[in-house]
Amino acid sequence: MSNPDRRPPLLRAEGLVKMYSDGDVQALRGVSLSIEAGEWVAITGPSGCGKTTLLQILGGLDRPTAGEVFFEGSPLGKLDLDAFRARRLGFVFQSFHLLSTLSALENVQVPMFEGPWPRSERASRAGALLDEVGLSHRKLHRPGRLSVGERQRVAIARALANGPGLILADEPTGNLDSRTQGEIMELLARLRRERSLTLVVVTHSHEVAAAADREIRLKDGRIVEG
Amino acid sequence: MRFSTFIARNMLNRKVRTALTVLGLSVGIAAVMILTGVAWGFERSFMKIYQTKGIDLVVVRAGISNQLSSNLEESVADRVRKVQGVADVSPSVMDTVSFEDRNLVSVLANGWEGGSRLFNGVRLLEGRAIKAGDGRVVMLGRVLGMNLGKSVGDEVGVAGEPFQVVGIFESDSLFENGGLIVPIRELQRMMGRQGQVTGLVVAATSAEPGFVEALSRRIERDIPGVAAVPARNFVQSDLQIRLTKTMAWATTAVALVLGSIGLLNTMVMSVFERTGEVGLLRALGWRRRRVLALILGEAMVLGLLGAAVGTALAYLGVRALVLDPTSRGFIDPNLPPAVVGIGLGMGLGLSLLGGLYPALRAAALDPTEALRHE
Repeated sequence: MSNPDRRPPLLRAEGLVKMYSDGDVQALRGVSLSIEAGEWVAITGPSGCGKTTLLQILGGLDRPTAGEVFFEGSPLGKLDLDAFRARRLGFVFQSFHLLSTLSALENVQVPMFEGPWPRSERASRAGALLDEVGLSHRKLHRPGRLSVGERQRVAIARALANGPGLILADEPTGNLDSRTQGEIMELLARLRRERSLTLVVVTHSHEVAAAADREIRLKDGRIVEG
Repeated sequence: MRFSTFIARNMLNRKVRTALTVLGLSVGIAAVMILTGVAWGFERSFMKIYQTKGIDLVVVRAGISNQLSSNLEESVADRVRKVQGVADVSPSVMDTVSFEDRNLVSVLANGWEGGSRLFNGVRLLEGRAIKAGDGRVVMLGRVLGMNLGKSVGDEVGVAGEPFQVVGIFESDSLFENGGLIVPIRELQRMMGRQGQVTGLVVAATSAEPGFVEALSRRIERDIPGVAAVPARNFVQSDLQIRLTKTMAWATTAVALVLGSIGLLNTMVMSVFERTGEVGLLRALGWRRRRVLALILGEAMVLGLLGAAVGTALAYLGVRALVLDPTSRGFIDPNLPPAVVGIGLGMGLGLSLLGGLYPALRAAALDPTEALRHE
């Protein structure tokens, strides 16, 4: 008998298959997983094993060829994916993907156009987020004048712009030296603790994987551990 | 940050391309505004002649497209006077003359009877008007007097014959200001058209359009071989005005095609270069319609900047045109507001034509594909 008080997992994937249009490449071959709210999960595996594809499907950026992803029990295919990406999750990318024409403060405001914030509040909210990631003094700098570590901090602040509960990070430390990598992981850990975030991080780094609550290892599009 | 700030930053980031696109658009828009302004100015100025003189109908030989090529027996005027509903008939001879030493060609020369209705709306600035019995005397329009450097009492050679300037006048019509008036008999003699006129102008007993049209039909029925055309229709059917308007529309069409291709090229390049950025915006939850608004907004700013710069160029262009003595008398240096409206409309139209396809293409991009592009 099911327990009515038991909440569904935050993210659940069932039998995900992803084939690319030419049909020759099968990136995912039946991946099923479950991630609870507040968990920190690292997805690891060799290059080309389907980690990024899995992250993009979990974040509603891409659709699986077969299988389904459920967010709080609802199939992603039934959700308004734009609103889901804008308000329920934040993406952090390996190459930051900051807009070079905008300042740090403005970059953080970009997702807020689809958020619930009135225009008058966007700048102050973005400023507070930059304070939170330790960039109070660099708010008006454009990405070209920031260090790589600072750029990733801006990208993390941007991921938090609309107050999501879930952060999906694709190799967030992949372009950073080991010291900066440590700082960024500390920042993510602190934010997760303070904001009760669920973190799903794709990584090659053993240190990052070791810091997570759980590691899911992929190989050839299948989960081999976790 | 406002959405408009985002648009502005994208454009300022590509200053040279933005400036060149705006320049291309503005030249096309200015060309259209100048030609349209000139064509409208011609028509308005021509129309003014008939309005200020209280002329309801112009009687010319049937089948001609221009009063200059019309040829009527002067006696037809008496037959027209007898038609019921005619209040007044004034014969007119019209030709063009040149003052080559002053580089003035196609100057309008009117031959009128002293005291005729055609002098209505002609304001004397200096001297006197032509009167019955005058010989080789001439009245110069203000602009022509200025271009020739002549005033009352001076002698001026008209088609090789000496005429004495008896008056300088001003009219609401640019054509008349740039032209001259001589006694009708003199112009008939010089043109070898004794006893003939190029047209008759008719004032009806009522200016009501239905009445004027009925009068036109009566004149054409009673006097075979003539066309009695309501003044407005006569102006609109004038060959020169029709040619100028056709040229203006043709230029508009060419400018629209070239302008939209230029803008399309800029926007397609811009979207192509920013594929990764569009992918990012979609990944961050931007809806397709917001991406569409971003690209269309950029195209619209380019179009509006093109219209603004084009309007400035058009104002400078017409002012440059009137520096030339030949065109000074015929071109109104003030562009009417409707022509400025055409420039603005073209700017917006071009931005829609050139911006829509790239905007739709950007909005349709798959976010993962677009992010990979980066």
